[in-house]
Amino acid sequence: MTEESTITIEVDGRALKAAPGAMLIDVCDAAGIHIPRFCYHRKLSLSANCRMCLVEVEKVPRPLPACVTPVNDGMKVTTNSPMAVEAQKGAMEFLLINHPLDCPICDQGGECELQDVALGYGSDASRYAEAKRVVADPDIGPLVATDLTRCIHCTRCVRFGAEIAGIRELGATGRGDHMTIGTYVEHAMGSELAGNVIDLCPVGALTSKPFRFQARAWEMVQRDGIAAHDGVGSNVHYHLRRDQILRVHPKDNEAVNECWLSDRDRFSYQALSAADRLLKPLVKQGGEWRETDWQSALEAAAQGLAQARGDDGNQLGGLLSPSASLEELYLAKKLMRGLGSANLDHRLRQADFRGDPPKVPWLGGPIAELEEQDLVVIIGANPRKDQPLLGHRIRKAAMKGAEVVYFNPLKLDLNYRAAQWVANPRDWVLEVANLAKAAGVRKGVVNKIKVADHHKELFKRLKAADKALVLVGDLAMGHPDYGLLRCLAAQVAEAAGARLGFLTPGANGVGAALLGVTPGEGGLDAQAMLAEPRKGYLLLGIDPGFDLENPAQGLNALMKAECVVALSSFRSPDLETVADVILPLAAAPESAGTFFNIEGTQQGFNGAAPPAGEARPGWKILRVLGNLMNLGGFDFNTPLQVRDEALGMLGDAAPDNGFEPDPALELTLPEAELLRIGELPIYSVDPMVRRAPALQATADAQDAAYLRLNPEDAKRLGFTAGDRITVSQPQARKAVFEARPDPAVPQGAVALCTAIPGSQALAGRFGEVTLEKA
Amino acid sequence: MANEVCLRTLDHDQPWSLEAYRAVGGYEVLKRVLQEKTAPDDIIAEVKKSNLRGRGGAGFPTGVKWGFINRSAPGDRYLVCNSDEGEPGTFKDRDILRYNPHQLIEGMIIAAYTIGAARGYNYIRGEFQEPYERFEAALEEARKEGFLGEDILGSGFDFQLHAHLGAGAYICGEETALLESIEGKKGQPRFKPPFPALFGLYGRPTIINNTESLASIPVILEKGGDWFKDLGVENSGGTKVFSISGNINNPGVFEIPMGTPFKDLLQMAGGMKDGRPIKAVIPGGSSAPVIPGAQMMELTMDYDAIQQAGSMLGSGAVIVLDDTNCMVRVLERMSYFYYEESCGQCTPCREGTGWLYRIVHRIEQGKGRQEDLELLDDITGKIAGRTICALGDAAAGPVQGMLKHFRDEFQYHIDRKRCLVSAGG
Amino acid sequence: MKAFIDYFRSLFLLELFRGLGVTGRYLFGKKFTLEYPEERAPQSPRFRGLHAQRRYDNGEERCIACKLCEAVCPAQAITIEAEPRADGSRRTTRYDIDLFKCIFCGYCQESCPVDAIVETRIYEYCFLEKGQNVITKDKLLEIGDKHEPQIAADIAAQAKYR
Repeated sequence: MTEESTITIEVDGRALKAAPGAMLIDVCDAAGIHIPRFCYHRKLSLSANCRMCLVEVEKVPRPLPACVTPVNDGMKVTTNSPMAVEAQKGAMEFLLINHPLDCPICDQGGECELQDVALGYGSDASRYAEAKRVVADPDIGPLVATDLTRCIHCTRCVRFGAEIAGIRELGATGRGDHMTIGTYVEHAMGSELAGNVIDLCPVGALTSKPFRFQARAWEMVQRDGIAAHDGVGSNVHYHLRRDQILRVHPKDNEAVNECWLSDRDRFSYQALSAADRLLKPLVKQGGEWRETDWQSALEAAAQGLAQARGDDGNQLGGLLSPSASLEELYLAKKLMRGLGSANLDHRLRQADFRGDPPKVPWLGGPIAELEEQDLVVIIGANPRKDQPLLGHRIRKAAMKGAEVVYFNPLKLDLNYRAAQWVANPRDWVLEVANLAKAAGVRKGVVNKIKVADHHKELFKRLKAADKALVLVGDLAMGHPDYGLLRCLAAQVAEAAGARLGFLTPGANGVGAALLGVTPGEGGLDAQAMLAEPRKGYLLLGIDPGFDLENPAQGLNALMKAECVVALSSFRSPDLETVADVILPLAAAPESAGTFFNIEGTQQGFNGAAPPAGEARPGWKILRVLGNLMNLGGFDFNTPLQVRDEALGMLGDAAPDNGFEPDPALELTLPEAELLRIGELPIYSVDPMVRRAPALQATADAQDAAYLRLNPEDAKRLGFTAGDRITVSQPQARKAVFEARPDPAVPQGAVALCTAIPGSQALAGRFGEVTLEKA
Repeated sequence: MANEVCLRTLDHDQPWSLEAYRAVGGYEVLKRVLQEKTAPDDIIAEVKKSNLRGRGGAGFPTGVKWGFINRSAPGDRYLVCNSDEGEPGTFKDRDILRYNPHQLIEGMIIAAYTIGAARGYNYIRGEFQEPYERFEAALEEARKEGFLGEDILGSGFDFQLHAHLGAGAYICGEETALLESIEGKKGQPRFKPPFPALFGLYGRPTIINNTESLASIPVILEKGGDWFKDLGVENSGGTKVFSISGNINNPGVFEIPMGTPFKDLLQMAGGMKDGRPIKAVIPGGSSAPVIPGAQMMELTMDYDAIQQAGSMLGSGAVIVLDDTNCMVRVLERMSYFYYEESCGQCTPCREGTGWLYRIVHRIEQGKGRQEDLELLDDITGKIAGRTICALGDAAAGPVQGMLKHFRDEFQYHIDRKRCLVSAGG
Repeated sequence: MKAFIDYFRSLFLLELFRGLGVTGRYLFGKKFTLEYPEERAPQSPRFRGLHAQRRYDNGEERCIACKLCEAVCPAQAITIEAEPRADGSRRTTRYDIDLFKCIFCGYCQESCPVDAIVETRIYEYCFLEKGQNVITKDKLLEIGDKHEPQIAADIAAQAKYR
């Protein structure tokens, strides 16, 4: 703000500097002058409907709403003159006449904007002697509870749906005081950001359903944390009562999550009290699981690993969750390296490890800059569901006019206009190759294809764009030709002068890559160490039936191992089948740690709640394990010491997407009648999310259970919606799923998610499948 | 001196037909304007000179409004005609659409030419099925004759005009709610500023005029702004189409010069029914405050005179009430209308109109309380001037007017729990 | 002169006899003490004794789990947990009062928006085992059911002062 571009206004006798055209309410907020408001929200469009922010402006005969009144030089405003206060009290009285005043049974009680403002502007008795309005409450899904009688019609939720979530799910129907907020035809909110309306609603009309009636605002303590389910690393507040996390709210951080929170981060806390939460160490003795004490469990683990290792450290393998904290990953790596094993990986859902990997894959730039892009090419990802708040930033860019182009093996349900170039999993690679050819790549797979005009056009636009970004996501990583896709994407980005970005897995994918939780010299990667079974495995924070790219192969390898030591927060049938020792691990909100989010920002957090039962933070478990196995350098007393040592080791290493593209890589995915597309559903990403009942009840989670195929294919195969279909993949057991014809899936492909119940029996995320009626 | 402007085809057989309109010189002005390529500024100057004020109710000078459009700015502009005639007591635009649709079409083409709009909409009230069909038929005739479409009369000027039938919401007569409705959204007024001339239909500069205003344009340009101005009186140019109803012998639509005494208008409408004494007149549609009959008999029908009497000329809907009317019941009915028609967007109107109605209803039912009249005064004060659009003022105005002139009737209802009029008081 | 009078007073134990006079007066006067438990002291309708939870006439418990009593309790003697009942209404699943902590201030009763938690006239109770000092929701409702007529009468008597 330069001197020339500022103007001076006077508010309540104070001279304030402001940018011309700024809204009065923003100027006053910045100066700490409070104006009551309900409908105004800094992230939403202005609607000026609550009339609570009326203020007196000199020379204007009637009060003006501060939220839509732009400031002018020399403007004199009084926010507390008799006229302004009378107007505000008038609006307050109108708002209250039809409000039920049922604060004692309202979950918003104690943290309600209406309560707060009524204290200042309301009257002690109502002059309204008529019958009050009563509104029936629609059921809008498992996440948000409605009490619409309390609604004050500020339409924040409606505007949120239209402007932020990108789905007009809530709307106002009816006129006058018959106006009600609802979904018109009663149906659930399907947005992945739906929970934000709970925070937006200034009254108790929209509240959290899982939290319903659990606690009052004043009984809870608030602790900060970092959400652990995607690379955004949303800043959160945990609200606890008696050491139990009862709800999660977003903590403002403009650079990361703004003021929003994805439903996944908001409701995953439910898993902390899941029925299959592991509360005590478990040791398998003679095929029977026995609860035991920490000492004997740790000794069993140490002994088991030592025996499996024998003289060859490389008989051990470590599969670590990309959502584990820096401290846990560091100690796990130190342990494995100490035992002489180079077999270590966190890229558990990656199918193809050919070619030079990017040094430390990351987003390629700050999260906030996503919304300033002019052209985004997304290869193999659905940011809206994979990393909802990144999806929101990309949507913001699209709404500002950016072009977004998707290369995916299936059509996505998007909430903005974008080109989607859909082809079956094999042709999809060729589509990307086509773009690469248009970009001038002349070696390898591109030789066999003819470049189309629209690819040339796209490349031209990509090259011309001021800010262009090529993003490679989870679906690409799960593809058996990921090496090739990555290589092509990098070449396109390079030729166009665009930025390359990777949508890395987990909450700490960047941290894991920085630490080098990857195979060491001569070590095996996540695929190889399961393809060539080891004698012993260390699993950190994963469920092998759900968190591996090829669960059939993975479970098989783990079954054959002499010793599998798992650190896990939960019991699970697969884990209990393959493991020998399961050590109860504190979940992310229960443990101190550090994440590097997808833009490479280091975010530390403390444990918000004590670990459930006898669970212990990962760093403590690994520390004792290291000591028991007589490895040096495991004498840590605090997580800070671990972090300092880990950060010291990182030195000034920084995220870096650079790698040497290998143009000679061949397309390996064979042609087949039907190829599987193994999407990772939004509510299946990690063990916690999979155990949150509210999230599992959402349409997103429910729909993921179906086997989807193109209606043409379904007709050809004689399948109709609802048929039970037996799925078989080479080297996998059979599994049965319900069919659902879906035109979003291209012909020749079958969308069958990974990490859903039943998918443990299956093999890789892509590859040939055969279907028959069960 | 009647029916000279908007209803000038009435003497002809099938006055709505193209032939009838041609017979009174229809579309000649358009031809002249397009052939001579009259400068838009000249047209605006002529309209300004005519003193034509918006006939929808607000009375904003039409020429001034047209002047707000920045014609040199790139991009689309729109012309919208507001035929969503929902004000209780008003039925003038209905008859213009029924009996002289071509004049409206011609006026719209000229207006579009003036502001440089290539597309126009006529938003017709949802209940006007017959006028809608007439207008559509007239549009078809005009298209056939080449008055609408591309390259009109070889001038290179394109203008597409469409009729849009509303769905029966009073609030869609408010210009920005009307725009929302055309865009396919819920009819809710937008906050102004920005005004439609800057940010209108689909976010583009838009001019919205009332049917009667637009229909007056061809005559103004044909006979000159001064001629039109001289028809009326100071500050109120031209003729005005009044729709008069109530306890009179011959309710209907009359196009008379501005400034005509109310007495004469009443005479034209056949005088009071059964010769009963006149009790009150609502001079400009139900949102206009009521004026006692005796005072009204002394007034002339123009903007200034009615405003000085504490009411407004509005849309020219004159509702005449004789002494058999209980003012509490009259107000109850009007308050119910605003309660039902409030769009529900902003707080004072959404909650306040219901509150007003419930109190008046209670008084009418004989359940009034002593503090109710003060409460009504207070609530109307908190609605008027506090809302996004003028509906809040429109709902408060009748209550304030009634309480000002007929407070004793309300007090009687509260005190005696019965009606002053039916009690023969 | 004063020393002389004092001397005679002490010589004849005048003060002692005056004191005995008081004793004698009360010995034969009206008795203040009560023969508890045969006799009972009168109680105010505002008496704050053992707690009870009340129901509505239709048998529905009054408590809506607003937790105001828990918040206002200066001794933090009240513990409440709540969840939606099958019919969707807000109800407590746990309502405990620790009578060892309770100071019988009556704030819980004052804060209750639905007159659910009340302090009755009951003051005769005892705990024979550890843990009995915590009275649960069931017990509170039982007490309420048993003494409802008295509770209702007391609240009615005090209504005009509230």
